[in-house]
Amino acid sequence: MMRHQYHWRSLTLAGFLAFFALTILVQIIRIQTSPDAAVFKAQAENFSGTYRTIYPERGEIYDRNGHLLAGNQTVYAVSVNLDEVTDPYAMALTLSTYLALDYNETLGYLLDPPEGKHNLTFKDFVPADQAAALQELQRQMAVQAAGTGVPSRLSGLEFQAHLQRSYPENALASNVIGFVSREGRGYFGVEEKYNDLLAGVPTQVWVPEDPNRALEIPKVPDGTTLILTINRDLQAATEQILDDALNQYGAQNGAIIVMDPKTGEILAMAVTPRMDLNQFWNYDSIYNTAADYNRAVSMPYEPGSVVKILTMAAALDSGTIQPNTSYFDTGVFEVGGIKIQNWDGRPWGTQDMLGCLQHSLNVCLAWISTSMGRDNFYGYMERFGLGRPTGVDLAGEAAGRLKVPGDSDWSEADLGTNSFGQGLTATPLQMIAAASAIANDGRMVVPHVLYAMVRNEQQVNIPPALGGSPITQQTADTLNEMLALSLEQEASLALLPGYRLAGKTGTGQIPTPGLGYISDQTNASFIGWGPVDDPQFMIYVWLERPSASIWGSDTAAPVFSQVAERTVILLDIPPDSVRQQLANK
Amino acid sequence: MTTIQNVAHFVHAYRQAPWRVQRQWTGAFLLALLAVSMVSALYLEINARAALIGREIQALEFEIASVQRANADLSTRLAILQSKSNMEARAGALGFRLAERGEIHYLVVPGYSAPQAVQLAETQPPLSPPSIPPEYTQSLLEWLAEKMRASSGAGQ
Repeated sequence: MMRHQYHWRSLTLAGFLAFFALTILVQIIRIQTSPDAAVFKAQAENFSGTYRTIYPERGEIYDRNGHLLAGNQTVYAVSVNLDEVTDPYAMALTLSTYLALDYNETLGYLLDPPEGKHNLTFKDFVPADQAAALQELQRQMAVQAAGTGVPSRLSGLEFQAHLQRSYPENALASNVIGFVSREGRGYFGVEEKYNDLLAGVPTQVWVPEDPNRALEIPKVPDGTTLILTINRDLQAATEQILDDALNQYGAQNGAIIVMDPKTGEILAMAVTPRMDLNQFWNYDSIYNTAADYNRAVSMPYEPGSVVKILTMAAALDSGTIQPNTSYFDTGVFEVGGIKIQNWDGRPWGTQDMLGCLQHSLNVCLAWISTSMGRDNFYGYMERFGLGRPTGVDLAGEAAGRLKVPGDSDWSEADLGTNSFGQGLTATPLQMIAAASAIANDGRMVVPHVLYAMVRNEQQVNIPPALGGSPITQQTADTLNEMLALSLEQEASLALLPGYRLAGKTGTGQIPTPGLGYISDQTNASFIGWGPVDDPQFMIYVWLERPSASIWGSDTAAPVFSQVAERTVILLDIPPDSVRQQLANK
Repeated sequence: MTTIQNVAHFVHAYRQAPWRVQRQWTGAFLLALLAVSMVSALYLEINARAALIGREIQALEFEIASVQRANADLSTRLAILQSKSNMEARAGALGFRLAERGEIHYLVVPGYSAPQAVQLAETQPPLSPPSIPPEYTQSLLEWLAEKMRASSGAGQ
């Protein structure tokens, strides 16, 4: 009897447990398939990880000798976890004191946060030292509160570290580098041109909290590091010379470019005004237009007589003239109904082509361009790249303007005036790129500032690119010699003792709407290179509206000489005599 | 009934005794329970270890990011210390000045080559990462499947 009773009890208990287990199983299945299942899954998903946009570390920018021009430094986003705040008054007071925030506004956000917000960021891009002071205060208050059993009055204060662009050289080469906004976008210069490479690819990723899925945390590659062709020391020296020149000659603004004429590598590019890149928010107060940021590439102007070297190159190359071709200068030349005169308004009599260049005779050059014929002349000017961008790897390059026959505003008179750099516009960079053909055996180079890229532990050096061969090597050699003789015979202020240089001044009157060309306001320019037998540098100087003298020979030429002097020192280019001795050994 | 028959009957009765059948069932159940417990314990152990390693990976990821930021900070601070203006000021304080053109003497140094632009990284392709043998990553089933595929491939 006892045995039977025990058996039934066991069966009842087993049945009850089985029923209980079955109920749980049914309930599990019911929940999994119920209409609320999606809501539960979403809730679970919310706690299993977070969507985060990962911004790769922006690539650094170095000069050609490995000096850091643009790097990154840690800054902090300071936020408050509202669920953990114990004393909103203390929190508001601390934040307003340390982060220079408005106390009442901060307190308002803490007491009455926006609907559904659990975390509020009160200030981003807080410098590391400022954040460190705040963190130290939070630590001290946590230590004080530890013994009391009451949470710290600053509990809930959180710091999110991230990187921000930093420029160790401040304003140096600011026109070449550009800057990065708070949103991480590059503006101007290299920062804009190579923004995609530098920034990498910001990626929104799912970061699991589950440690078993730790390997799923995605790896976002950093941005590409760039090495520029810029030589920091030469850049600094060039900027200093330019600043001094503006003071000395009373010029409003200016630009100087130093380029290797064989490779197109830009060694220095100084402009005014410049900006401390660490305070990029001052942009609006420094620049009126975007073209002001880097006038060497973005601001075309009428370059004046420096264009004569292109006209002469075209005429020599086409066979229209020879160096010894003589021309009788009467002081006036009529073309397209306008009378062209020399810079001094007087006749220079019989001149050979060297004399035309040396004395910078407009009349002679206008005769040359008309002798070439419009198609021939403009064909050469286009091959020299006038009227189209050089393709330099800097943001905001302007194309300039070269009116050609067929354009509605072109007239026969332009054929004459264009020959000496009037009626056309070009940027300093276009001029230096065009003239590189003369210094580089007839081959034009494409100017560039990118020397190499570093990515995934690999450096890729960028090979130089050619921009065409508008003239032959023979023409280039002939003109090189003529321009060197021209400087020597003129006893130009551009000369540098010990080094044979070639070059040409330019004084361009400034066209003013309604007033035409104003004679007392000019653009003074100089283009030159050296050493003539093996050109290793090419320099372009532009001074805008110098007041001490309107002539390029008085202002831009001596500036060229100063830059050339620093260039030969910094690039270790020995004087010609030493170089020839070395070559003979 | 012979003695042998009696013994055989006794043995048969002994084998079919209810308490003996119960004990067999209990033994089998306990064995299954032990097996399940062992597998569960193993699973828990591995899972706990994986979670621990996962946490360590997460912590290391955080540390890597932190070290990368510290590197960027140090590199920028170094660059600020070595910036053109700072170096010029320090050189000036030490009594140095820029050399003038006439003060420079050029010497012939056999074998000297002019400095080239900076090389921040190797130009040759990077080394490939070490490969992990399949024994460390393959499951038993995957290994079997591979062997079967290999044998069927060899047979064709």
